[in-house]
Amino acid sequence: MNKLRIALTKGRLEKNTIELFEKIGYNCDEVKNKGRRLILPVGNDDFEVVLAKAADVITYVEHGVCDLGVVGKDTILENGSSFYELLDLGFGKCRFALATKKGYDFYGGYKTKTIATKYPNVTRAFFDEKNMDVRIIKIEGSVELAPLVGLADGIVDIVETGSTLKANGLEVIEWVTDISARLIANTASLKLRKKEIEELQNKLEAATK
Amino acid sequence: MKKYLKITPEGTKDFLFAECSAMEEVCGKIENVFTGRGFKRVITPFLEFYDVFTVPNSGITQESMFKSVDNKGRLLVARPDSTLPIARMVSTRLNNSTLPVRLYYKQAVYRNNPTLTGRRNELMQMGIELLGAKGIRADLEILTTAISAISSVADDYRIELGHAEVFDALSSELDIDEDFKERIRLSIESKNYSALNNLLDKLAPCKAVSAVRSLPSLFGGEEVFDKAKEICEGTKAADALKYLHKVYNSLAPFNLGDKLIIDLGLVQRNDYYTGIVFTGYINGIGDAVLSGGRYDNLLSVFDMPMGAAGFAIDTDAITIKTLSDANNDYSDNPDILVFAQDGHEIEAINYVNSLNKDGKKAQFSVLPTLEETKEFAHNRGISNVEVIG
Repeated sequence: MNKLRIALTKGRLEKNTIELFEKIGYNCDEVKNKGRRLILPVGNDDFEVVLAKAADVITYVEHGVCDLGVVGKDTILENGSSFYELLDLGFGKCRFALATKKGYDFYGGYKTKTIATKYPNVTRAFFDEKNMDVRIIKIEGSVELAPLVGLADGIVDIVETGSTLKANGLEVIEWVTDISARLIANTASLKLRKKEIEELQNKLEAATK
Repeated sequence: MKKYLKITPEGTKDFLFAECSAMEEVCGKIENVFTGRGFKRVITPFLEFYDVFTVPNSGITQESMFKSVDNKGRLLVARPDSTLPIARMVSTRLNNSTLPVRLYYKQAVYRNNPTLTGRRNELMQMGIELLGAKGIRADLEILTTAISAISSVADDYRIELGHAEVFDALSSELDIDEDFKERIRLSIESKNYSALNNLLDKLAPCKAVSAVRSLPSLFGGEEVFDKAKEICEGTKAADALKYLHKVYNSLAPFNLGDKLIIDLGLVQRNDYYTGIVFTGYINGIGDAVLSGGRYDNLLSVFDMPMGAAGFAIDTDAITIKTLSDANNDYSDNPDILVFAQDGHEIEAINYVNSLNKDGKKAQFSVLPTLEETKEFAHNRGISNVEVIG
């Protein structure tokens, strides 16, 4: 049978996951010296990792070409759909927040509010829950700009330290949800390779505590 | 205006030659299992009224259906599922027949999936329904048919088995509304332990809460029953669990080993199913290829209450896998190409017929000259050209 294949979100989550693998005792030298390679062996050829952009991690796992994946809850909330979410890995912590210009009365008045965001689905779900109609505009880059130039009344975005908001005269008026890195699994893989996956899951769970 | 005359809509595809042969082979094997066990084929219309699929707990969302209107403005859909049309059909066309009835189908279903996900919007499915029977014998008939069907097309497979009442019974002991119950169900379905814990932490601790908390991890072999028995003792789920164990033990002579998995976290379409539920997986396919269970409440929606159970198999996924398995040869080349000199055409055609009767793959060349025939044979890799006359 093939080795387990794990998709990692490139960048910081990748580094954190590698640290976790090393803590468990897997040799990750190949991943650390990856060069331009995208598929890399881990440990004594115990499994292999694939490096991908966050949303693609979900795609690869959903289609079953990767058995497991490490991806942020933000990406899961935005892209969703059918896979198992096995473990909160505890790193990559931040929060989704609704922010406006300082002192702006967001919930006041009857005007339909406009929200700029990189996460339209998260935003839609948040305001659906409040039974509130909002106009959502998708922005690709620095969302903080939108309320400053008058495109939007507020933004829904990831906030870590809040310093970018502060520097631009914005403030958080409501926390949407907490975010951290998650271990996800393809539904068929978990059933077909239960032993291997559970073993790794248990090791990871123990290492995060 | 841009014309879309050279592409097919997203999520659909043409099937050519070897793809058709592979599909026929897969469907043929499954069909043999179904007909051998006395299931009779039915075909329902491609178009149905929207209302058929919006019965309570159908589990089919509005946005997943392809809709159209008839000339009276009534809403029509391309069938997204075959079980509901069959329930409609049985309650009207077969309402006087001797029960139980055994039906099977082989027809596509249509789902309007989110764009650019690579999912198929037109899916060939085969499945059976056993209507008008309840109890362990009926459940075993359905389950063993599912096992025979999946093992007829794959060696490395898993069948996982659960019971809708386990979750229903446990959640009924919790002081929660429908919305909260659905959120719990979703987090069990996706084995999202952290979301499930967050939800359950809001409730007062009790036996049912801790049982629900452990549902997603209760999957595996027979040892699951020992763990679950302890956890569910004294709750309403105990009966369902006992029944499930009985079904599991009854399947022992099949020697399925680790091919048969118990999963008490199997809560898909949990309001639709009322008894056993099961799902099948094949190594190399990233999604479930078989799913089914008992749905005793459905037929009462069509004013003909009776026990019912069935399952559907995604034959397209199996076809794709069969094609990619290198050891299968679906070459569509003939072994012999027969060319007729002028005036000997019928003689040559009769010769081709006789070769075909002997089980050889022969083809009559429709090209006008021997030269062109030879060139065609060369290009297609047909080694044998015979000339008549």
